[in-house]
Amino acid sequence: MILPWIIIILVIGGTLAWIAGRFGPHWPRWISLATLGIHFGFLLYLWIQNYSIFTLTTRSPWFALFDIPWISQIGISFSLGMDGLSLLLILLINLLGIMAVACSWNAIKDRVGFFHFNLMWILASITGVFLALDLFLFYFFWELMLVPLYFLIGIWGYENRIYATIKFFIFTQVSGLFMLLGILGLYFVHGANTGVYTFSYFQLLGTKLPQPLGFLLMLGMFLAFAVKLPVVPFHTWLPDAHTEAPTAGSVDLAGLVLKVGAYGMIRFLIPLFPKDSLSFAPIAMALGIIGILYGAIVAFGQTDLKRLIAYTSISHMGFVILGIFAWNTIALQGAIIIMIAHGISTSGLFIMVGDLMSRLHTRDFRRMGGLWSTLPRMGGAAMVFTLASLGLPGLGNFVGEFLVLLGVYRVSIPAAALATLGFIVATIYSLWIIQGAFHGRNTEGWKLQDMSSREAAIMTTLIAVILWLGIYPQTVLNTSLPAVEAMQKYAIETQQTIVSPQISPAQPLPIEGSITINTGGKP
Amino acid sequence: MSALIFFFTFALIAVGAAVGMLFSRNAIYAALLLIVNFASVAFLYLSLGAPFIALAQVTVYAGAIMVLFLFVIMLLGAERLPPSQELPWQRPLGIVLAFLLLIEAVYGIVFRVNSAATLSLPVVEFATPAEIGSALFSTYLLPFEITSVLLLVAVVGAIVLTRAEGGARRRALVSQITQAVATEVPEHKAETPEEEKELV
Amino acid sequence: MTAADVYAILPLIVLGGASVVVLLGIAVHRSHSLTLILTLTGLVAAFLLLPLVSIEAPRQVTPLLVIDSYSIFFSGLIIAASFIITVLSYSYLSQQRGHREEFYLFLLLATLGSVVLVASTHFASFFLGLEVLSVSLYTLIAYSRKEYGIEAGVKYLILAGLSSAFLLFGMALVYSELGTMKLAQIPTSLSNPSSGVSQVFVLGGLALIVVGIGFKLALVPFHLWTPDVYQGAPAPVTAFVATISKGAMFALLLRYFTVVNIHNYPSLYLAFVVIAIASMFIGNLLGLLQTKLKRLLAYSSISHLGYLLVAFLASGPLAAVAVAFYLVTYFVTTLGAFGLITIMSNSDRDAEDPEDYRGLFWRKPWIAGSFTAMLLSLAGVPLTAGFVGKFYLVTAGIGSALWLLVIVLVVTSGIGLYYYLRVVVAMFASLPKGSTIAPAMRISPHFTGALAVTILVLLLFWLGIYPTPILRLIESMVTGFS
Repeated sequence: MILPWIIIILVIGGTLAWIAGRFGPHWPRWISLATLGIHFGFLLYLWIQNYSIFTLTTRSPWFALFDIPWISQIGISFSLGMDGLSLLLILLINLLGIMAVACSWNAIKDRVGFFHFNLMWILASITGVFLALDLFLFYFFWELMLVPLYFLIGIWGYENRIYATIKFFIFTQVSGLFMLLGILGLYFVHGANTGVYTFSYFQLLGTKLPQPLGFLLMLGMFLAFAVKLPVVPFHTWLPDAHTEAPTAGSVDLAGLVLKVGAYGMIRFLIPLFPKDSLSFAPIAMALGIIGILYGAIVAFGQTDLKRLIAYTSISHMGFVILGIFAWNTIALQGAIIIMIAHGISTSGLFIMVGDLMSRLHTRDFRRMGGLWSTLPRMGGAAMVFTLASLGLPGLGNFVGEFLVLLGVYRVSIPAAALATLGFIVATIYSLWIIQGAFHGRNTEGWKLQDMSSREAAIMTTLIAVILWLGIYPQTVLNTSLPAVEAMQKYAIETQQTIVSPQISPAQPLPIEGSITINTGGKP
Repeated sequence: MSALIFFFTFALIAVGAAVGMLFSRNAIYAALLLIVNFASVAFLYLSLGAPFIALAQVTVYAGAIMVLFLFVIMLLGAERLPPSQELPWQRPLGIVLAFLLLIEAVYGIVFRVNSAATLSLPVVEFATPAEIGSALFSTYLLPFEITSVLLLVAVVGAIVLTRAEGGARRRALVSQITQAVATEVPEHKAETPEEEKELV
Repeated sequence: MTAADVYAILPLIVLGGASVVVLLGIAVHRSHSLTLILTLTGLVAAFLLLPLVSIEAPRQVTPLLVIDSYSIFFSGLIIAASFIITVLSYSYLSQQRGHREEFYLFLLLATLGSVVLVASTHFASFFLGLEVLSVSLYTLIAYSRKEYGIEAGVKYLILAGLSSAFLLFGMALVYSELGTMKLAQIPTSLSNPSSGVSQVFVLGGLALIVVGIGFKLALVPFHLWTPDVYQGAPAPVTAFVATISKGAMFALLLRYFTVVNIHNYPSLYLAFVVIAIASMFIGNLLGLLQTKLKRLLAYSSISHLGYLLVAFLASGPLAAVAVAFYLVTYFVTTLGAFGLITIMSNSDRDAEDPEDYRGLFWRKPWIAGSFTAMLLSLAGVPLTAGFVGKFYLVTAGIGSALWLLVIVLVVTSGIGLYYYLRVVVAMFASLPKGSTIAPAMRISPHFTGALAVTILVLLLFWLGIYPTPILRLIESMVTGFS
């Protein structure tokens, strides 16, 4: 029962926070923190319980599964499952959730209850996306995520927020509907092949698809993931949404929402459509490289600091898609590390910009300069995150990008070579940020308060995590390895139906709620 | 042959009257032409062996309803119709569409004539008043009842919609007064008693 | 007619009887509350009779009506919706001056007409049901005689009269070829090779019938009346036009064209495809240009009927379930939206300016929250009924490989999203300092209206989160028929 509770706790917490908003602005904040604390407790419990089994590859990669029928008429069940990949990403949700609450502690002053309600619901629905093993459920959470995010940006965002939110909403919803077409196509083909109409992930794995239908269905799903990731021609919502969002919204967008697209590719797109997606891989990788270079170059031309960071996200996500479509263990592991490290470093940068904005009341890069002298501690923190962003060894992003390049090199040397160029441009824009904002002359004569202890605590936490990722990524790699291997296995074994560890497709799904927590490694 | 001549005579009169009605700018003429149309259609019914419908057509439509029409037109003094206001493309479009419909109908009829089958003619006693009566009160009792509901709706609807004229001025007065008072008093309150008695 | 026949049509008789009782009640003692109670009693009694009647189902009552699970399901839906609309009307009319009681009479009679429609298996009952519905609606639309009320009523009168003429002509053509007006006999007469039936006339007749139906459903080339009527009619009446009138007609359309297999007529099928695509595009594109809320919902309903046609064209058991379920969600959502407009309206005008809703969330969070839920449901966002409904439509469409239609649905619903969101944005916007509140916003909602809306909101989420029970009901009711 622990899996649904991971989602429900956030839903309840959010609702409580909204109600508690009547009693005072501090109530929602503390309730949200407490909720996330409990959430973290659940995750830690699952992690510790399963950590020791990671070296035993014969073991199931699934830590826990949960399955009850939902809309049984057309084979929809409320089916959740957690493996290493989900666990890591949900841990990221938890961490960034706490950061989002912390960084809006003073920044959000009105409608605090509703703000935290939306924040918690975003986290809950993204958690749902990472846990869903039923394609309808996945789509459900996928779409649900938009609504609170829409409110978060639309109410607490900056001047142009209405335009940004509507654009964001329409982009993602329409692409989501294309994903629905892909899912339904798969559903009907599978139903026609086997007579079993189901949305269950395990049963749909290995469906034989006729051509060119399979390719088109794959494209439909790819479109949805590509918009969220974002891959270059579909990225235009991202800079607007990021720029107009409040800091917590930017953190959620950059840290979490973008990861949803990558997660969808790893978990669903390639395992469900192995042949089609791998025949599509060269194009996807080309798009990735374009994204890396385009994002970096456009970032360099920005004057709005938040927009600049948004474009660097596009660049980083280029590496992720490159790693995913290289589809080997090293590249995938690298992509996962980038997802986490980028979530942390970019969130750090956005929080820093938020802090700067609360002091300067501008995001305009040209009006900054020489801030190091007045904000030495903030400058130091910013330095760490930008260095992480440019891929300095010792920090998390480097490990990820290095692994991706290593993996891609095995598949395509030119792709790896071109992607390496990304490092160079990344260096340029990263140094540009530091130089422009913190070095140089303090032309406007800013005299500002340095970081408060709350801000310092946020930065310290994030820096600690990113250092940990850079120095000892083994923690993450070990956790995700069984999941990555399982995904690859699913994708390869297209000829026979994959038998999931707990739910066998041969027999009907259990009617009662059944959970299976893998306690294998425990003595 | 004589049936054919009969048909074409009255069909032409009916069509001519209908066209004349459409183009007449005088409401009285239009109404009279409509009566001619109704009457000639009644003759066509007669030739089809449906005397009851023919008579109903004459008495109900050509008689009762058109008399009411004329009465209303004269009462309102609306003999001269104002020149119609139409969009510039409306008339050509209407002509084109009507022409298309004509072609379609002619094609359909030609097609029909060429096909071997003909309509099974109804039995002679098809539409006598007795036949209609027994059908209405046996097989079609239910629709007959529904028709009565329909008439009920129409009657009450007409009353409700036209009741305004008398009450409008009084209502305006009442609303003025209530608005004057309403700044303190809650909005909705019962109407004046005479207004309540106005209907039914 | 036997006693069993009478038993089977008892709900209709109760509705008819209730309207007579209401009529006499008004004559004896004019009281708003009393009329409301009589009306609601009639509706509840008719609704409660449905399960009893369903024991007899399926039963052909004279050639005209069939009481089967399909018609019982839709009758239930119509009566329930009518119940909600009646309650909303009470809330609405409480603020109006003038005679209010006759309103309920027309509501009851229009409901009766709709119930006849969904049970119709004969052109005569089709036409009569339609006329009872339409004539009641003429009066209801013009009832309040506010700014645009009379205009809307006259517009509806003329266009509905015209469409009835098309319908009758179409029926006459079909009858002239097939010699029957009974729905069940049409396919047999058609397939009988020796009869020498001219397909041209039958096709033409069916096409004209489709014109008549298309008018009622406000599908695209026949949609021109919709925005004006929606705007001019009192909010509860608009709700009636949007839900019951269209729902009953759609149920009839599905029944008729399931019996007369639409796939046998490629040109008619093509016409429906074109109508569906046009409705989806026009509804969503013109919706973008609207500034008045009721006009916006009018275009929204045009596009939703276009979506419904996708499932209609898919045909098959899943499609019937999808249509029925989508109609349920559409009813709940649309009634909710118009219910909220009703609550927000006052005696001067209906609350249809976006300005009336600006910053509403911070003033009346429950109303604004409910309205947001309704709009998001229209847009098909998860947790709301509209999401599952749209999912079912798309599923039905893909199940029959109607890729073009489904892709148009996807693209146009993306366009439509924009105008729903615009209203949501307005509700969540902050009021500029020192601005005055629009007069429509000072109304504290009448508790009956609030109650109705609360029920609808709960239903909305229930259908969005756990639709299994209602789907089971629909499957048992609807699949037997197709």
